[in-house]
Amino acid sequence: MPSAHPDNVDDKTLALIANRPHALLPFLQLQSATSLSRLYQSPSSCLSIFRLLDAVERQLTMNLLWLDSAISLSTMGAWIVQEKKKMYDEALDMLSRLHILHVQAGKLSLNATFKASLRHAITGGGTTGSFGVPAERDEKRPPMGIEGLDGYALERWETILHFMVSSGTGQNPTRPSQGVLYLLQRSGLMSNNHGSVPQITSTGFQFLLHPPHAQLWDLLLQYLHMAEERQMDLVEVLTFFFMLSTMELGKEYLTENLSQTQKAMLDDLRDYGLIWQRKASSRRFSPTRLATTLTSSSPSLPTSVGASSSQQGFIVLETNYRVYAYTDNPLQTAVLNLFVSLKYRFPNLVVGSITRDSVRRALNNGISAEQIISYLVTHAHPQMRKFNPLIPVTVQDQIRLWELEKERLKSEEGYLYTAFASQADYEFVLNYAKQLDVVLWENTAKRCFFGSIEGHSNIRNFIERRTSGAD
Amino acid sequence: MRAIKGVLFTCDAAVKQILLTMNEQQSFIIEDLDDNHLVIKADDEFRVRRQLETELEKNTYSLE
Repeated sequence: MPSAHPDNVDDKTLALIANRPHALLPFLQLQSATSLSRLYQSPSSCLSIFRLLDAVERQLTMNLLWLDSAISLSTMGAWIVQEKKKMYDEALDMLSRLHILHVQAGKLSLNATFKASLRHAITGGGTTGSFGVPAERDEKRPPMGIEGLDGYALERWETILHFMVSSGTGQNPTRPSQGVLYLLQRSGLMSNNHGSVPQITSTGFQFLLHPPHAQLWDLLLQYLHMAEERQMDLVEVLTFFFMLSTMELGKEYLTENLSQTQKAMLDDLRDYGLIWQRKASSRRFSPTRLATTLTSSSPSLPTSVGASSSQQGFIVLETNYRVYAYTDNPLQTAVLNLFVSLKYRFPNLVVGSITRDSVRRALNNGISAEQIISYLVTHAHPQMRKFNPLIPVTVQDQIRLWELEKERLKSEEGYLYTAFASQADYEFVLNYAKQLDVVLWENTAKRCFFGSIEGHSNIRNFIERRTSGAD
Repeated sequence: MRAIKGVLFTCDAAVKQILLTMNEQQSFIIEDLDDNHLVIKADDEFRVRRQLETELEKNTYSLE
């Protein structure tokens, strides 16, 4: 029962989320060794990937980085405490699937290309331009300042989210560009079943509750999948993402050294708010905070409501289900509106309460109780942090109970197999169905069982084979 | 041996009783398996769920 120790469970779930490998890594693992080794030719890519790895993996890589020859598995193994062997093995596994590490004849070594590039990235030098080529300062047209860039990125990003959250509510928020709309539809965050107005899907609702960094990568991963279809060179796309992630906020860079693919990407990335350009034809571009924090742990968005309040949170939740949200941001209000029934609005404060109806509406939209609670935890006001558990137990439990209440009836389509001639017949077919793992319910006394729809054709064939064999 | 196409409902005993009452008005149950399981006609699933929802809503009260 998850509600027995809600605070512990929350800690564990949060820890789990934190320990999960970065969303990009599974995608990289699917790439061929050749593409990866092309990717590793760029020092900025290696540095960025290094930053995406977890602590043990980074430690292993660092240990091997400055060794010129391979090191035997047993030497490396001697550094590992037995109890944590599993962690070590997982790290080795991850690194070798990324082709960063080779295990050959009991010896460990880094991929030569990766090693050279990462060394290069750390020591500097060279003229590969892998970290972008900064533009000379142009006195007539000074670069956009950090504040301007932040404002721009935020405006772009919130336009996308706000468009999603208010779809279907009858409001008419600013539409993001066609490219963005297409991306949202392709990623399944919005559907386009009802003519020209895209509707948010249940995945989309869940997406809205994710932290901005995860949201950004969700979209970029989808962009990568689309890039494959658009016949763009994946390695160049990835290299560009990584290049952006190592650039400096507030500096201008030249587009001259970019490849054709990368120049084409500028348009898309401008739409997402990752880069800023004076004009579409401009030969310079400035990365925004969204881009420069792609592979770092710093927050990807400055919030419009004071620089630090997004990290600190703005929601106060009382035991009587009342919610006070100190925000004037329309997006945050709209997201809250997904599961809170809002009562009053003041210039810097929104008041509402969590009710059965508001939670049910969220559940019907495909948002889970766990997501609501984790959103409340992440955005809790500093005042709330004094309490342990953070979210009042009554409210937590009630939200979970409302979810359970919705699932009082479970249904599965399939076939009921009944009227078997003999007990032996019944057991024979049942055993076969069990091997297929399709039995949902069985009763020996009644001599019948219920199998899921997926198993039906197999079971039918099985019985037919048997009856024809018996003849 | 026979195979009957349907939808398996897994529910608590209370919900099952409501379903049985609903069945008296308009029959949709193919087989009453045990306390927590029923098999119903696949085509009726949506209607039954809707009707059950309204039935259960009658038992809840809102302050608003």
